[in-house]
Formats: sequence, C-alpha cells, structure tokens
Amino acid sequence: MNFEALQKAWQSQDPGAKVTINTDMLLNEVRRNQQQFRATIFWRDVREVGVALLLALFFLYRGMRHHDWTNYLLALAGFGVGTFMLVDRLLQHRKHPVSNDPLKACIESSLLQVNHQIWLLKNVFWWYLLPFAAALGISISYSTWHARNAGFLAVIIWVISALVIVLVYWGIHWLNRFAVRKSLEPRRQELETLLANLK
Amino acid sequence: MQTHSITAQEQETIFRRWLDEHIGLILKVVRSCAAPQDQDDLFQDVLLQVWSSIPAFRGEAKETTWIYRVAFNTALAWRRGEQRRRKVHETFLKLDTSPQVQPSHADSLPEQEVVEQLYAAIRQLPKVDASLALMHLDGLSYQEMADVLGISENYIGVKLNRIRKQLADQLKGATDEL
Repeated sequence: MNFEALQKAWQSQDPGAKVTINTDMLLNEVRRNQQQFRATIFWRDVREVGVALLLALFFLYRGMRHHDWTNYLLALAGFGVGTFMLVDRLLQHRKHPVSNDPLKACIESSLLQVNHQIWLLKNVFWWYLLPFAAALGISISYSTWHARNAGFLAVIIWVISALVIVLVYWGIHWLNRFAVRKSLEPRRQELETLLANLK
Repeated sequence: MQTHSITAQEQETIFRRWLDEHIGLILKVVRSCAAPQDQDDLFQDVLLQVWSSIPAFRGEAKETTWIYRVAFNTALAWRRGEQRRRKVHETFLKLDTSPQVQPSHADSLPEQEVVEQLYAAIRQLPKVDASLALMHLDGLSYQEMADVLGISENYIGVKLNRIRKQLADQLKGATDEL
C-alpha cells in the first residue's frame, strides 16, 4: 500500500462519530480547571513570596521593639529574598510559553523556562540560603558575644545553633538538587530532543 | 499571551463552534500522541488549552492552524500521570477512542484497520515527526505545516520524505495482510 492509499484511508475516517459531549458540563469543567490552575499558581506565589515578606515584617517589628539591630539584618534578608522571588516571577511570567505559538517557539520558551528553574534551584544557596545564613550567623554570634559571661555554655549554644543551621541548609540544598535531577533534567533533555528534531 | 477583550459569552460561542467544526482534528492529535489509556486525560487538557487560547485568537491565523498549534503544544508538554491530579467531577464526555471510517466506503472495514495501524505507527514516531505525519495525512500544505511548527518549508519536505518511507515500511506487513 503506497502513501497515497494510506492518506486516502486516513482521510476517510470520521473521528467525531463516537464522541458525545455535553457542552454545558464541559464548559463548567473547563472553567473550574482554569480557576483551579490560577488558584494553584496564585497561592504558590503567595506562599513563597509571602513567607519571605512576612519574615521580613516580623524581624522588623522585633528589631524596633527590642532595639536589636541584628533583627534588622534578618528583616533585610527576608525582604531581599522576597523581592528577588517577586521580580523573578514577574520577569518569567512574560516569557511563559504560549500554547498557540508555533511548536518550535513554544518548545524554545519551555526550554528557557526549564533552564531558568534549574539555574534557580542549583543556585538556591546564593539567592535564598546565604542572605538568611549571613544574617542568622551575625545574629547568633552577636548574642553569644553578649552572653560570653556564661563561658563554655555560650560556646556550646553557638556550636549547636550553627550545626542546626548547617543541617537544615544541607537538607534544603539536597532537596533542590534532587528536584533538578529527578524532574527538571529529564524534562530539559526531552525538550532538547524535540528541538533537535526541528533543526 | 496577548489577548483582546472578549466577553465570556463570545468565548463560549467560539468554543462551541470550534468543537462542532474541529473536534475531529483534536481527536486525531490526541489519538496520535497518547496511548489509548491516556487519551481521555490528554483530550481534556487540549480542550482546556483551546478554551484558554480563544481570547488571543485574532483571526490572523486560520482556525485549523491555531487549533493544531494548541493541540500539538499541549500534547508535547503533556506527561502521562501528571494531569491525573485534575479530577473530573462530572462526565461530560463519552469518548470511543477507536477511529471510525465513514460508512459510505464499501471496503470500510479494511480501511478502518489501516487507520488503526496508522495510529499505532504514528505513536511510534518521535513526537515532532508524529505531528508532521498527522498533518501530512490530513492533507495540509507545506506552508500550513510550517506555520504550525514554525520551521521552514524546505525542512518539512526533507522530513516528510523520511517519514513517508518510515510509515510505509512500518505498515508494509500489516497492510499486506489486509
């Protein structure tokens, strides 16, 4: 059977024949799905950006109430991280792949987005962990210095605090690396293959 | 996505008309890109994306080109299992995934089997090749395929030669038996 015969057979199909759609229910479902999707994105942003900004406000309040300048450092770190995430979200939102773009353009923008996510997660230490770590380190060291009269006990508290921070940070760092390896790298590979097929 | 103002009523009207006129096109994409057990999920996702894309539609592209783009982009981004988290509350769709050949053809049964074989063969192709094969079988011009994929017509010609041969080879055994 040559290709023309295959094409003839293909075009003879009536693919809509066995589809029964309740359009009203479908519209309700489509609207519900769209609302759900928007809500998911909105609450993800609120959660991530909001927590950082709330932390900033909390430490700002504590700093003003207790006249403790180390709290201002923590507030600054929270504010910096929150602003970074907010600006990043806004910039990335503009580059979001659009489903009615030509296939190649859609794959390219998806690839850019995945690459950006990988960059963010791989560099989470620099833009998320380090600002808080620096502020926390200074804050804890300052408190320890003030409590130096307690002697050895102050040193032990400082060491334990530092260890807890290092452990938590290592956990966050590992989780991010895992996410990159498990889902983002395969997705990048998949998109690169698709793009290679179009070049 | 650049959108122009459109009322919900207008969006709904366009969506209903597109469903009436182009449901076959969407189903072909779904059947070509997803395994039978996943076709319901992908179909719902494509419909969702088609609905969302309507405010951006200005009539500059042909409706079919637009819907092909949305459907292929959704199918390429779609990954099995991910979308299952979106539970459908009500059954709005009864979908028989087997393609139907129009009864006017006297030899419709063998043709139906050929079409089944074609879908199976297309699903074996790399995704981009599968989209090209489908559009070629649907009789789209090189220009139209280039518009959907965003690549040059020359390149499409080269690719199609290979895909035609590949499909013919894959179906050789099957069609000989029919």
